[in-house]
Amino acid sequence: MSTNRYDAIVIGGGHNGLVNAAYLARAGRKVVVLEKRHLVGGAAVSEQIFPGFTFSVFSYVVSLLRPEIIRDLQLPQHGLQILPLESTITPLPNGDYLGMWGDRDRTRRELARHSATDAEALDEFGRLMHHMAMAVRPILGMMPPDPTSLGVRDLKAFARLGGHLRQIDEKHLHLLHKLMTMSSADFLDEWFEFEPLKATKSASGIIGTFLGPRSPGTAYVLLHHYMGEIDGAFRAWGFAKGGTGAISESIASAARALGAEIRLNTGVAQVMVKNGKAVGVVLENGDELLAPVVVSGLDPRRTFLQLVEEQALPTDLVDAVRKYKFRGSSGKVNLALSELPDFTCLPGRGQHHYGAVSISPSYDYLERAYDDAKYGEFSKKPYMDIVFPSMLDPNMAPPGQHVMSAFVQYAPYKLNGGWTDEKREAFGDAVIDTLAEYAPNIKRAIIHRQVITPPDIERITGLSEGNIFAGELSLHQLFFNRPAHPWAGYRTPIRGYYQCGSGTHPGGGIMGASGRLAALRILDHRSRR
Amino acid sequence: MTRTYDVVVIGAGLNGLAAAAQLAKSGKRVLVLERRTAVGGSFAAEELLPGFRIDPVTDDFGYLSPELVRELNLARHGLDLLPPDPSLHAPSLDGRSLTLWRDTSRTVAGIAAFSKQDAVRWSPFIARMAKFAGFLQQLYSVQAPRPSGGIRDLLELATVGRKLRGLGRTDMVELLRVLPMSIDELLDDEFETVLLKGMLGVGGVFGIHQGARAAGTAFVFLHHHVGAEPGTFRMRQRARGGVAGVADAFANAAKAAGVEIRTQAQVTRIIARNGHVTGVITNDEEIATTRVISSADARTTLLGLTGAEFFDPELTREVGNVRYRGVTARVHFALDAIPQFKDADAESLRGVISIAPSLEYIERAYDAVKYGGISQQPILEVLIPSLIDPTAAPAGKHVMSVNVQYAPYHLRDRNWDKQTCDALGDQVVRMLNDHAPQFASSILARRVISPAELDAEYGMPEGSIDHGELGLDQILFMRPVPGWSRYRTPVEGLYLCGSGTHPGRSITGAAGRLAARAVSADTK
Repeated sequence: MSTNRYDAIVIGGGHNGLVNAAYLARAGRKVVVLEKRHLVGGAAVSEQIFPGFTFSVFSYVVSLLRPEIIRDLQLPQHGLQILPLESTITPLPNGDYLGMWGDRDRTRRELARHSATDAEALDEFGRLMHHMAMAVRPILGMMPPDPTSLGVRDLKAFARLGGHLRQIDEKHLHLLHKLMTMSSADFLDEWFEFEPLKATKSASGIIGTFLGPRSPGTAYVLLHHYMGEIDGAFRAWGFAKGGTGAISESIASAARALGAEIRLNTGVAQVMVKNGKAVGVVLENGDELLAPVVVSGLDPRRTFLQLVEEQALPTDLVDAVRKYKFRGSSGKVNLALSELPDFTCLPGRGQHHYGAVSISPSYDYLERAYDDAKYGEFSKKPYMDIVFPSMLDPNMAPPGQHVMSAFVQYAPYKLNGGWTDEKREAFGDAVIDTLAEYAPNIKRAIIHRQVITPPDIERITGLSEGNIFAGELSLHQLFFNRPAHPWAGYRTPIRGYYQCGSGTHPGGGIMGASGRLAALRILDHRSRR
Repeated sequence: MTRTYDVVVIGAGLNGLAAAAQLAKSGKRVLVLERRTAVGGSFAAEELLPGFRIDPVTDDFGYLSPELVRELNLARHGLDLLPPDPSLHAPSLDGRSLTLWRDTSRTVAGIAAFSKQDAVRWSPFIARMAKFAGFLQQLYSVQAPRPSGGIRDLLELATVGRKLRGLGRTDMVELLRVLPMSIDELLDDEFETVLLKGMLGVGGVFGIHQGARAAGTAFVFLHHHVGAEPGTFRMRQRARGGVAGVADAFANAAKAAGVEIRTQAQVTRIIARNGHVTGVITNDEEIATTRVISSADARTTLLGLTGAEFFDPELTREVGNVRYRGVTARVHFALDAIPQFKDADAESLRGVISIAPSLEYIERAYDAVKYGGISQQPILEVLIPSLIDPTAAPAGKHVMSVNVQYAPYHLRDRNWDKQTCDALGDQVVRMLNDHAPQFASSILARRVISPAELDAEYGMPEGSIDHGELGLDQILFMRPVPGWSRYRTPVEGLYLCGSGTHPGRSITGAAGRLAARAVSADTK
């Protein structure tokens, strides 16, 4: 038998592709994952960009990885180790700071320093968001039904969804409605008064979107980030030992152990379609691999407009995918440092270096950063979410030295005049200059600097327009509209051709849910033959 | 002995009058109390100069449904509706204008001069928008469905679901996709002509503290399209006598039904005992009644007139959280001559003249309010009522009213004092003069009504003529506050019927009509 025949071919070795392959292999299918780069992970990779310094080059924190995947694939046995990232500090322009710590009492005391009423409100807010996240979470594990279908499967799914929503009392349904429709700023204004607290919380609502905190729709992204769960603790961001690439490697290891084959340096040129049915793929080197099931882990634009011929698809799907919004808005600056940044507001080395540092002093600050991007410029004073992975995992940098990861927003994919090497460096300079206002020693501490723009993300990972969620998490691109109705259920109009990337429900972040749900859908189809 | 009334209605606006007329027709003794000197409340006409009549607050009375016109017999009471033609005219500084006519082929010919592709897309677009607005229209003719576990609520929801399915498979999903979109995305996906997108885009942001890129502005656009003829945007219907003419017809209908209307009667307190309404106190008397319907907004009615002590803290908090934050000012002019816009004849100027030449222009205008400022280059929507209704001004003269957005109620570093108002007025004159060079010299009188004045003088809370921003989180079962969308309040006998309740101002009298039904249902 030819080694070029498989039960299933998964295109793209991102975390969803790997999860998908692992579940298919677990069900006894002969699976191959094809990854164009020299390592698996897609946007969840760890690389030694500079000798001795290892970076989570793109995605850098984890909280949404589905617990059932960790369990089913026994990821801890394959090396997954999540270290909690417990604190967030927000340095303020006046030399003060806002600290939110793993210890709840300490956070409350700290907040009381700025606002007694906010300190009071914090616990109730946390409880409520936890409750809401619990209420919505089952939807993440649900295949999106088609609202127009009268098919048994879809009606059952809607009945389940309805039954689930009926368990939520009216008051919480109203709150859910608010979260789905409001801006994170308006939503937080109903709870808190201290501007840096509100701005810092709102920032998680804008990540990966081309919106500001005052734009409706961002409160949902806030909730999306509250749904994370690590060891049962909600809203605990974590950091993988060895960087996010270690997560991908652990899934890959689990997949291999289950019998999946992973081919690196293997780009796919085209999905082969015969009589409306997928039969295999043509590699970039011209080789052909055959399988009755082909799964794309790439984003919707590549899945539908690049890997297959447009003629193979209905025109309304082609239209819908063309309208699907990517609009990458964020960049990344990775630094190799000779010493830790010394923050004026908290001098010396401290606990804050083990957590995140958020540059988000006010709504206005974030909105002005957004305004720059709206009109085609990168933010002169950007929002940043900064972590020091070498503090949690000393192996990431040589002894005494450090790596720093700064997620930076906004950097529009479509920059006025286009991105050039000079513009990329100017963007990097804006980031460092901004940071230097809070930690003046940063400039002398830099040994190496890597600046990543949305076009860089697109070029390296393949994510269209550099959108980190494989398509914006806006209301009209969720659930049965992700990526397009009626193809939200991981299938495509081409029989045997499936999608499993973050551009499908529930999308976004290192979650793996799309990969798993797609596998379940494929296995369901196959077993019913 | 003072007369007693079955129902007292606070405010003689369109919703208050509609509720009063409906209840009087069913045999109730109804008294309407109006704070201002004329019936119609804030919709009463004023004179800018002798003989120059203006509608101070708005020229847009929204959509008047045929059912209400029939039920109140408004035609017999003086209502004379005029279909707007054109509905919208957009001049531009480069001299090329675009006009939306009732005759679609005429509109298409105009669009074709800018883009052949857009001309082809126009008819399918307006048909789809009309269909979507038609679905909202059905939602707006009944009380808002509630997502609760009750059997009646579920049946109502099922009815909505069936109507949604009635749109057909493609349009149903498309509507669900479009509602939470931004108007910027909706129009950008459709058209390439920036002037067309700008003039249409205003409908998505009108009266709200958001820009064209905000999620939910596609809904606002559709909301303002309810009841319009396909291809008619921004002004669905007009009436002889303007908004005041409509208010007069409502007041006449109410009086004919037996309603007593008292003007200059300001309610200062709603009296409640043991959770029941017992009467109201005005500036000069106490009136006993067991039913009070307020057309004031929820905050004014519940916290101001009734008192927070009657409501649980959670409701009080929700009421306090209602977002009003008005963003429009009005500037009125008495003119010696018709302004001579470039590339426009007098016929084109009979519609709303829209100065918002692109979606980016709208977004940039919005940016200022995020930081508590007034747009340097605001959106202007201009109406010259005297072109339609010659009685609005002396022969040969004209009146002009301009909606100016964004002029926020909440300013960060200044107040709406005379200086701020004058500066805004001057800016509007400069902008209009750029489009119509003789304009400034034709001004006989000018009046700026700031959002602060809309609040203080005309009862528009924080200058919001919608009595609460039209956001996706403040409509349907969330309007005016979550859980109390059906006109009743926790105080028995106290009802809300104003623009702040479902379905809102621009569906004329609908809230009043539905509130009257709630009262009738409770008094059976």
